[in-house]
Amino acid sequence: MDLQALNTNVSRVPFFRFLNFEVQEISETYAEAEITFESRHIGNPVMEYYHGGIIASFMEATAAIAVHPEFADIPAKPINLTVDYLRPAVKGPLTAGAMVTRKGKRIASVSVTAWQAARDKPVAEGLYHFLLV
Amino acid sequence: MTEITQEKMEQIAQMWNARGKGLITHMALEIKEISAEAVLVRMPFNPDFCVDSAQTLLHGGILTALLDSVFGLANFVAIEGVSTMATLDLRVDYLRAAHSRSDVVVRANCYRVTRHIAFNSGSIWFDGHEDDEIARGAASFALTRGDTSLFSAMTKATV
Repeated sequence: MDLQALNTNVSRVPFFRFLNFEVQEISETYAEAEITFESRHIGNPVMEYYHGGIIASFMEATAAIAVHPEFADIPAKPINLTVDYLRPAVKGPLTAGAMVTRKGKRIASVSVTAWQAARDKPVAEGLYHFLLV
Repeated sequence: MTEITQEKMEQIAQMWNARGKGLITHMALEIKEISAEAVLVRMPFNPDFCVDSAQTLLHGGILTALLDSVFGLANFVAIEGVSTMATLDLRVDYLRAAHSRSDVVVRANCYRVTRHIAFNSGSIWFDGHEDDEIARGAASFALTRGDTSLFSAMTKATV
């Protein structure tokens, strides 16, 4: 999968532009992307932490790309998600790595981790389900 | 319905409108009803939150963000003596495709609070279609009790 072509498709999705991220790695079962911090991502205005909803949205976007990297317009259909928030995400870059744990005929399960400086200190972990039909 | 003090209402208005940065200002939320039992909030349609190029289908993530924000508000009005609040976990079910250019309405409540934890649930629908929920969510929040109110912590940087 060509990263440049993929990022061109990413840039066509209005909400993905709002999130402002770039896919940096893609394979059959894994996608990794990095978000560039913007003031519109802030949830806690005093500490300037990321909004939990932005983190969950970015993880969902990365998970959808891992499931269906060849999307032309609309990304994979999400069914549901659960997210554990482990640490605050501070001002600066944020990375999400999405691993497709199972991709069946109808449903895919994706496990996503988000981190900043160190991958072994995740800010959030999530499990996302997608409908493939 | 429990009355909310005028002071708390003014604090909420200040936090949501005057602090002027972050995702919450982009969501342009409007509080329709508010009490310690439940909050009802409207989010106007915003094409930036869509996934398709025709801009008629909302991304699920913005609904998740909306639930997270409104759970925070529900906790703020329902719980006294909290100095900080952090989302512990969040679950969202996307019940149908969010295909509309209508405004979105969310109802959220804090249905149980302990010394350390608040439990929330909420639903989202397009304005005028309350029977066709588009998403439902549940969350828990970790609370830190203390004399410094959440409001003063949130606003001290802006005054």
